[in-house]
Amino acid sequence: MTSAAQPPSSAEGQGRSRSKTLQLLGILSGFTAGAWLGAAEAPTKLVSIGISPMAISLIMVIGVFLALWSLPALILGTSSVRADVRRAPHLMIWAVLAGCLWAVANTLTILAIRDIGLSIAFPLWNSNSLLGIFWGFLFFNELRQAGWRRWTGVLGGALVMCAGATLLAIASSTQGPAGHSLRGVWAALGAGVLWGTMYIPYRKAYLTGMNPLSFVTFFTFGEVGMMSALAVDYTGLTPLWQELLGACGVIFWLMLGGFIWVIGDLFQQYAAKYVGISRGIPLSNSNQLWGLLWGIFVFGELHGRPSCTYLQVVGGSLLMMLGVAAVAFSSASGEEQARWKEAAAPKPAATALLETTLKAAWTAAGLRMSRCIPVASGTGFSSLPPAVSLLFLPGWLASREWACMRAPLRCWL
Amino acid sequence: MATMDNPKANSSRLDRVLTDVHFWVPVAVLLAGLLLLSFMH
Repeated sequence: MTSAAQPPSSAEGQGRSRSKTLQLLGILSGFTAGAWLGAAEAPTKLVSIGISPMAISLIMVIGVFLALWSLPALILGTSSVRADVRRAPHLMIWAVLAGCLWAVANTLTILAIRDIGLSIAFPLWNSNSLLGIFWGFLFFNELRQAGWRRWTGVLGGALVMCAGATLLAIASSTQGPAGHSLRGVWAALGAGVLWGTMYIPYRKAYLTGMNPLSFVTFFTFGEVGMMSALAVDYTGLTPLWQELLGACGVIFWLMLGGFIWVIGDLFQQYAAKYVGISRGIPLSNSNQLWGLLWGIFVFGELHGRPSCTYLQVVGGSLLMMLGVAAVAFSSASGEEQARWKEAAAPKPAATALLETTLKAAWTAAGLRMSRCIPVASGTGFSSLPPAVSLLFLPGWLASREWACMRAPLRCWL
Repeated sequence: MATMDNPKANSSRLDRVLTDVHFWVPVAVLLAGLLLLSFMH
């Protein structure tokens, strides 16, 4: 009797231990993402030397594109990406959509930095964590059956972070150029909404089984496509080319910013995967602290300000760290994790109602996308153009040389 | 490979995506962001 009961409890214990390890990994990924993402925003400060926001955003996105098509290939090779595409080609839509959201948000942040400065813009767009908590709760069953302690930890932590962010914004509120501050605030808040919503496709893809590295690989198509369209539309092809030529001296730094962002984003993806978006976003939003350090020590944004401003900055930063700690210690319970799994199949009532409405509207409009399918399937990914396939070449070469080194990474990933 | 070559499977998957609220909420936010950007510009 005893021996019969032992195996399940042992398996249960192992499962719990694995779950704890993954939660810890997710929290550490969130912190690490914060450091890298904070550093990635620093090159956008170059907007203050006269390069247009569109050109900066486009160059950063090209840097992101190059990094994303090389990093995943270096780490995993290309076989896992191709396997994901074959298994669930529709999941790429989520990645492309997220890329489009990122490109628009990034352009808005550059406008915000130009108008109100890095140290004010950062806290404003980091309000995306509150939106992330809302979407996580509404769509993905996060924080369901979590108990009041975890609710207090996550929501309270995010609110404390917002309070700290506000204090930081007040501390540097006179820094932005007069006349454009309201426009900058709208741009920063808009970026926060876009980035908060960007996590819906992230989470959706992971719940349905997509590998984060495959996700970010296709994310770049949406990103580059949207950013190129925006840059050409707003600037014009010839003026854009002239601006890119004019930015030759700083192209390396901007592309490096994109490259650094990729590393931060990969950590962020794992945070979203292992601890959910309601916890992952606040944790990776600790990037504001890093952005603040860059703003103060590298760009001298608060130079010559009175000591009370520095007190506000220190107080705001401490509040942010307190909020981050509160979120980090509110790990998901077993019951909550079971609800995450449910989110991939049956929908909560509100979501189901919205979906029913959408389906009815779709049918009523007589728009059956199935008519377009033969065209879409005819251009399947198995027939990728040779030029695109060449992008996999560095990864393929590296995978041959680094096969031994990749094995432990593969285990971890 | 079979899933890639099966139009019926692809059709149902695309239908599922296009009737999914998880898809339309980000699309709506994206359109709003583009509007905001054109206003800023």
